[in-house]
Amino acid sequence: MIENDVLLAFIVFFPIASAFIGYAIGKKNKNARNIFACVVTAAEFLAVFSAAFNPMELGIKGLFAMGINFQSGGLRSVLMVLAAFVWLMSTLFSNEYFAHYRSRNRYYFFMLATLGATMGVFLSADFYTTLIFFEIMSFTSWVLVMHDETENALRAGMTYLTVAVIGGLVTLVGMFFLYHASGTMRFDELSVFMSGIENKKPYYIYGLMVLTGFAAKAGAFPLHIWLPEAHPVAPAPASALLSCVLTKTGIFGVLVLSTQIFMYDAQWGLFILITGTITMFLGAFLAVFSINLKRTLACSSLSQIGFILVGIGMQGLLGEHNAIAAGGTILHIVNHSVIKMTLFLCAGTVYMNIHELDLNKIRGWGRNKPLLKIVFLQGLLGIGGIPLWGGYISKTLLHESIVEYITHLTEVGHSAYLFNIIEWIFLISGGLTLAYMTKLFVAVFIEKAPDKLNENNKSDNKYLTKTSAFVLICCGVLISVFGLMPNAVMGRIADVSRSFMNSHYMEHEVHYFAWVNLKGAVISIAIGAAVYFGFIRTLLMTKDQSGQKVYTDVWPKWLSIEKNIYRPVILTLLPSAGGAVVGVMNSSFDLICSVTVPAAGIVCEKIINPSFEYTCSKVYYAAEYLCGNVLNPSFENIYKVLYFVMSKSVEFINSLIENIFLWLLIIGVIVIRFFKGIYDYMIQVVLYLFFNYDEISYEGKRNFRKDAYFSRFSVDKYGEERGMRENLSVSLILFGLGVVIALIYLII
Amino acid sequence: MNSYLTLLPVIFPFLSCFFILAKPFENRTKMRYFTITIVVINTILSIFSIMNYQHTYVNIIQFSDHIKIAFKIDGLSKVFGTMVALLWPATTLYAFEYMSHERDEQRFFTFFVMSFGVTMGVAFSANMFTMYLFYELLTFATLPLVIHEMDAEAFHAGKMYIIFMMSGAALAFIGLVIIICYSQSTDFYMGGTLNYMAVKGNENILRFVYVLTFLGFGVKAAVFPLFMWLPTASVAPTPVTALLHAVAVVKSGAFAIIRLTYFSYGTYLLKDTWAQYIVMAMPLITILIGSTMALKTSHIKRRLAYSTISNLSYILFSVSLMTQEGLASGLLHMVYHAVIKITLFFCTGAILVQTGRQYVKEIEGIGMKMPVIFGCFTVCGFGLVGVPPFAGFHSKWNIAVSAVRAHNPLAYAGIYVLIISALLTALYIFTILIAAYFPKPEAISGRDDSNVKDPGPLMTVTIIALTITSVIIGFFPTPLLYVFNSIASKL
Repeated sequence: MIENDVLLAFIVFFPIASAFIGYAIGKKNKNARNIFACVVTAAEFLAVFSAAFNPMELGIKGLFAMGINFQSGGLRSVLMVLAAFVWLMSTLFSNEYFAHYRSRNRYYFFMLATLGATMGVFLSADFYTTLIFFEIMSFTSWVLVMHDETENALRAGMTYLTVAVIGGLVTLVGMFFLYHASGTMRFDELSVFMSGIENKKPYYIYGLMVLTGFAAKAGAFPLHIWLPEAHPVAPAPASALLSCVLTKTGIFGVLVLSTQIFMYDAQWGLFILITGTITMFLGAFLAVFSINLKRTLACSSLSQIGFILVGIGMQGLLGEHNAIAAGGTILHIVNHSVIKMTLFLCAGTVYMNIHELDLNKIRGWGRNKPLLKIVFLQGLLGIGGIPLWGGYISKTLLHESIVEYITHLTEVGHSAYLFNIIEWIFLISGGLTLAYMTKLFVAVFIEKAPDKLNENNKSDNKYLTKTSAFVLICCGVLISVFGLMPNAVMGRIADVSRSFMNSHYMEHEVHYFAWVNLKGAVISIAIGAAVYFGFIRTLLMTKDQSGQKVYTDVWPKWLSIEKNIYRPVILTLLPSAGGAVVGVMNSSFDLICSVTVPAAGIVCEKIINPSFEYTCSKVYYAAEYLCGNVLNPSFENIYKVLYFVMSKSVEFINSLIENIFLWLLIIGVIVIRFFKGIYDYMIQVVLYLFFNYDEISYEGKRNFRKDAYFSRFSVDKYGEERGMRENLSVSLILFGLGVVIALIYLII
Repeated sequence: MNSYLTLLPVIFPFLSCFFILAKPFENRTKMRYFTITIVVINTILSIFSIMNYQHTYVNIIQFSDHIKIAFKIDGLSKVFGTMVALLWPATTLYAFEYMSHERDEQRFFTFFVMSFGVTMGVAFSANMFTMYLFYELLTFATLPLVIHEMDAEAFHAGKMYIIFMMSGAALAFIGLVIIICYSQSTDFYMGGTLNYMAVKGNENILRFVYVLTFLGFGVKAAVFPLFMWLPTASVAPTPVTALLHAVAVVKSGAFAIIRLTYFSYGTYLLKDTWAQYIVMAMPLITILIGSTMALKTSHIKRRLAYSTISNLSYILFSVSLMTQEGLASGLLHMVYHAVIKITLFFCTGAILVQTGRQYVKEIEGIGMKMPVIFGCFTVCGFGLVGVPPFAGFHSKWNIAVSAVRAHNPLAYAGIYVLIISALLTALYIFTILIAAYFPKPEAISGRDDSNVKDPGPLMTVTIIALTITSVIIGFFPTPLLYVFNSIASKL
């Protein structure tokens, strides 16, 4: 099957290569570029589709040092078909959406590059491959976020990049330690390795590090901050890609960790579950308050990611009986992608026509547009978990898995209150989902529009091209197909992915439309209705001057993790800590210099000099005593001569030793002078001989610092001048030290 | 007799460079042809010697048993020599276009070519004495290049340059004396040549001297606390900053330290002693200071100079692990950093000559106006940050792997330093890229950018070629790693 294996490389590298070709075409002809992009994504979709049904492997040794490994089949196939489908739809839609945009070439280039990188992540069979494509994807998608180049977009882009870079680095460290511990990066080998480990404590830490980057990309609490900022500011087709596929690359990483490395691990599962629960509720809660169409959808994505994480957590907790949880997780991934794409493209339709997203301004715009209305309604019903639509199936499975675990706990005799709470949060989040989606739907498609908008509306009834309409219809129909034939379509998708999740097939077919399963949906719908009528329509809407009811943004501006924790820590705390450390280092050198120099002086003056003097005088007296009293007077003449010579030489030695430090100092000065002399002389010679310069002035040597830029960046100047002084003094001390040691060595 | 050909790449530039200075050229083009011919001939000679005369010992002058001038090409010389020999012609081409905006081109190329020979001398020298000699010569050969501008700022930088280098030389001289006294020969031999009978009882003195010598050679490699000359010397013309202060001079410092550690002292005496801890701590501190200062500096060339400081210390840190893997990954980073940093400097120089802009704030929004320059800057910037799969990633990864395997507490700390530094690197590179591609609207309003465009073919072709090289060696590092491992495995 050699051709087929190459197919995997084709799937990854073909879009990246065609990104460059597309860029070149776009320079010449814009229309041809758009068609080219559609053809590329369509070809990619076909390639992916044909690769999806037979599992294959491909290892390219030597590429990127450690070699990269691809694998298809199972969950990977599902994800990659999904990604290719979303990409195809979004690209078809882009034609119209970007019709009046500038720098479209850039968009298409990075869009295609991101497609290749995303496929690389989904196909990867080892962490190294995942990491490479994950990083490429982070950077290429960053440009998509910033595409509009408005102030908000730039800001959101920076947040996204910061989270991606820091997350990526932490993941890298985690992978590094995992690699060091196990000696392999391949998922299957890691899985085998981990099953033989008794004490998992250090591995939890490594796992958490690896998780950070993936969780950040998925948008899990508390690393979700970039998501509600970045998704709304990106162009709608890009938002759809970010929300539907890129978050799933993060989920893919979490899945790898939870099903391969921490397989059936209850503690890990509990951690993921709690993270997921918080994300799920937080997203829904934020979405209820939002009055911006795309921001609501972004928050909704956050919430749905929470649902998926709950599923992943549950399949860890349930261990070998995780069939329902695993199925729910996979199906919710699929559902969320398809539904959220539909909704984002609807939002894109609204935006490309009236360039507004504020609910108060777009109110009633969709009243007389049945197609858009129906498609959006499909999305609403799908994501709200209404029976007969897609979302219901997956949410039911997820809910069932929580109930199953509660039953299991009560059977064993443990208390299950935590899971009861989680079950209720789950149902409430489901209710909130319905509430905020209803809010959007009512605002855009039911309420009466302000007069101005209405006029615009009538004059231009053609708001969609045929291609875009086709895309929307496709998405809308798919949601119903998923919901109406749960066992035929969704069951199969789930079964395909089971091997990846290490779960067994379900013991019996789930009766989705039995009362037991419908009960959860009914509770959620009741909560949703209560929230919508009791909270949104009363507390979140006020009357404006003209007596019309408008949506108000009551969410306090200051209440944001990003503003209160992350930005202060990253922008203030860390730099000042770093600055403090560098400052301490610099001043410690100041200190060392200021202490050592006087100390050396004191030591010489107080200790070494007197002790030398003392020794010398003792020697002198001893010699005198020897000469005068002990030696035989009969040798008096010789003794006299000897006495004279000895006393003279002793005196000489005495003075020599006394002055040795002075001498050292003088030599040092001479050496320094010598080098300065060499330097000056060299410059003079060079100048005279070759360049006819008559004289050099050192006077102006500091003047360049008066340059306007230096005074503006005063920090720079301060740092450099200080550093220079310190380094010079230190190097001179070391130089002196070197000379002294060399001399001492030569003397001894 | 044939083996004396090894000398040619060292001597040929010396002999020929004065013709550039003395010859009255009719026009600039002739001077350029003359210069590039010399450089290319010397590159060919170097590669020829490296291919044909490996492990041939050439003794030129013998003063005593220990003190002699001799050359030999071994594995390490091969790596350093090839790297330098290939980058020199590229820089010369770039310099032709760059220097046409400056004065005194003839003088510049004279010393530029002379430095080539001296650097090859450092690479090919067979013993400590010869290397020390050429190492000192390199200081003097490059000094006129540093003070090329001949203004107050340049003289100031030159003065600092020579003071630092001389103090370093004094420290290194102690090492030279000690090696002459305590080893069987001063020749380089993998694993060290110390005479352990003589060493016995004096271990700590030798270790102390090792630390001093490390500091001495470390001056050229810009190790803390003796690194300040490097950012100051960025007043020199860009080809000098790019080739000498990112590759030849600074890497000959690292090269000398590798020679000292692995080929003269040997790791046996030093491993797991206080001396190793000291020489390991110094690069770590340098990495942090270098990346922090780079982030703080808004002058692009100086920012890159600080970045060089921190990246050189990656190499030194890896070398100071004193393991086979450490040496191999240090060499890998040496090669990667050489290609990446030279390209980044070239791009900065191109921006400087085309627009006269030097600060991050000034380049807002010119990314799309100079597509080639900034495209290459982006690719190499990603390499410097270490975004997989670009070049810098593998070397950093390998350094981290060798650090973990060294089983040394400071080496573990080193991994975290590498991570922090990677983050800082990302910050100081991305701020440049973001400023160039996504300008703040208020920064570009009221500024005339219509004249901003890519430089001429000599510059762009060089930069593109180097960028492609960096991508290729980044994607397929296996052969390079194989070579480095085989050099290091002779431990």
